[in-house]
Amino acid sequence: MTILTFPMSRIEGHARVVIEEDGGVVQSADFQAMEMRGFRYFVIGTPSEQMPVIVPRICGVCSTAHHVASVKALEDLYGITPPPMADKIREILLLGQLIQNQATSLFLFTMPDRMGVNSIFAAKDLDCCGTDDTNLTQSALRVRKAGTDLITLAGGQFIHPIKAVIGGVISGIERERADVMLKILDEILPVAKGLFDCYWNLSLTLRDRIGTWGDDEPTYYLASTQDDDLTLNSERLRVLDPTGKEIAGFKPRDYQKHLIMEESRYSYAGESSYQGQIIRANSLARVNMARKLNTPEANVYLQRFKQEFGDPAHAILLFDICRGIELVYAIEKAHMMLEDDLEKGDVKVDYSVRDGVGFGLVEAPRGPLIHRYEVENGLIKDADFIIPTAHNMRAIRRALMVVANRYISPNGINLELDKAVGRVVRAFDPCIACATQ
Amino acid sequence: MEATNSMPNFAVLQLSGCSGCEVSLLNANEWVDKYKLLYMPLVITTKKIPDEIETLIITGGVRNEEDEYNLRKAAAIAKRVVAVGTCAISGGVSNLGDRDEVRQLFNQDLKRHNLPTLLPKSHPVDKFIEVDLYLPGCPPTPELFMAALTSPEDFKPGLIVCAECGRKKLGDMKPKHLTGFQTNVDQPDICLVNQGFLCVGTSTRGGCRALCTRPGHPCVGCRGPSDILIEKESGAWFESIKRTFNRMTEVPEEELDAALKSPQLSLFLFQFADYEGADIKPRNKNKVL
Repeated sequence: MTILTFPMSRIEGHARVVIEEDGGVVQSADFQAMEMRGFRYFVIGTPSEQMPVIVPRICGVCSTAHHVASVKALEDLYGITPPPMADKIREILLLGQLIQNQATSLFLFTMPDRMGVNSIFAAKDLDCCGTDDTNLTQSALRVRKAGTDLITLAGGQFIHPIKAVIGGVISGIERERADVMLKILDEILPVAKGLFDCYWNLSLTLRDRIGTWGDDEPTYYLASTQDDDLTLNSERLRVLDPTGKEIAGFKPRDYQKHLIMEESRYSYAGESSYQGQIIRANSLARVNMARKLNTPEANVYLQRFKQEFGDPAHAILLFDICRGIELVYAIEKAHMMLEDDLEKGDVKVDYSVRDGVGFGLVEAPRGPLIHRYEVENGLIKDADFIIPTAHNMRAIRRALMVVANRYISPNGINLELDKAVGRVVRAFDPCIACATQ
Repeated sequence: MEATNSMPNFAVLQLSGCSGCEVSLLNANEWVDKYKLLYMPLVITTKKIPDEIETLIITGGVRNEEDEYNLRKAAAIAKRVVAVGTCAISGGVSNLGDRDEVRQLFNQDLKRHNLPTLLPKSHPVDKFIEVDLYLPGCPPTPELFMAALTSPEDFKPGLIVCAECGRKKLGDMKPKHLTGFQTNVDQPDICLVNQGFLCVGTSTRGGCRALCTRPGHPCVGCRGPSDILIEKESGAWFESIKRTFNRMTEVPEEELDAALKSPQLSLFLFQFADYEGADIKPRNKNKVL
């Protein structure tokens, strides 16, 4: 028996893929999360009100999602509803994170796979589909920085935001600052579209070279976004079956009735399933759920996607293309929302601390994120973080089996395996810091 | 982009952390045309740590055996070592797990096959290696990253967060109690301490441009103690914060003491105070940016 180990890079956190083969027959393929800090243990005893400052530190990439999910869980627990203005500002905050995350995943993590380089920093004179003087690295960083700027505008801090608080947000967005942001978004939209068009073309070239988008079987999909929009400050989870039919919809409070959560003996990341069925979350799940998007340019991409790749689409490398659609959507949507007045009006309601159990849901870039807190005497008695990457864990493993079987045979191991393993894992954009906490 | 060998180079070693520091570094895109980035698994596919490194940036704390191994290996070949962020400097957020009752829970639950063995707690990197420059912050801003990479001696931040905040301190506005952590509605331009928030900006190192306090969130101290306090034990910082509140508020002593022990503050206030077993000396303030 041979054990092949692939340390992962260009993903968030420390993980590896381990494939066991015997005489060219694949025995197993595993994805192991190797680090662990223990948030769900050490938050026990914390005053519940402090969670929105502590839990963003679960992950510097997904901090905004944790911040908002935490605030929502406490609002559920204390029995209060934030004013509509606060919901809008939180949505903008989450859009900022979607821009930042999808730009990072597309251009920093997976673009190098399509260009045959190790990194967009390490290569010289990268030429992005012949767009002459475009400097790919700087353009990509500009797009993701627009997301960070949006988080700073709506969230105060730029990585671990502070502006969402229990009951609302601490302040509105001044017109003057919103106008500066609108200008940035105006500038960045064509840059993002240019990069994405290039990415789409490079992906087609990649498919022609390897002969597949990833030939895994159809599966179930989990997201908390809706048919006709991508509201990220979400309320309800939904499950699609492999034919695209909605077979379940539920509030975060009821997640245990639908999702089975399990620990792994070989990884610090847990994994989930829908009643034992493999599910997928993240961009492809949301795109499969969306009939249309309510921003013009992104909707053109969405319809083109559905026409070219089917509805629902199942191939693994399509996750990456879906991220581009969402990047365009988030830029356009943030622009629409910032045109409204977000300066005047109530941003916050009062609350008093009480005991109980509360659930907070948001659609994070990697899928639905739920925080569950049990509070006793004002202190956290128990906390659960239902992490989007955990929903994809079984799907990742199955996809790795497909890849292993494709490139390992009794005749030998095709050297494409190393690259293919990286491409498959990155398509799911797993976040190890979140998955292990 | 011309990445030539004549450019200064740096590498980023990611230990156990949240990647927030790395994300901040990516936001500081001015370095891209001036430095060669040799190693940073978040964005570069490399199988091993390079053989020569000019500046080594370390993020994250030492949480398991593999972190320790990689840290010793990389630091041995680097000409200059920069510890970045709360986790690398003090063990950071995972250090909240350094309590007996939490450790018991850990031990019950955390046996895994063939994965790097967890250490009993999250350690700061200078328990194992010599550090040339400390860059505290959770995470440090892109501006601070650039200063650390280029010329830290030329960077002159405000001594404390208050110096960069700009909110007015009022002599006659003395709250009798602390407001609930997030309950109060902020009055813009007035010092958060005057409004009863538990803001520790008066003792916290400046340089962050008061990102949190200006929009109205109390400073939680992520940049660690100011130069005046940094070489002293952690009790000195507590005393300094208490003096501020005694002067500016009428909050009873017991209420203040209880509030200062909160986990979210202990995340950050104990930075530079981890002199465990006296084998780590206080950090020299001239090494802190």
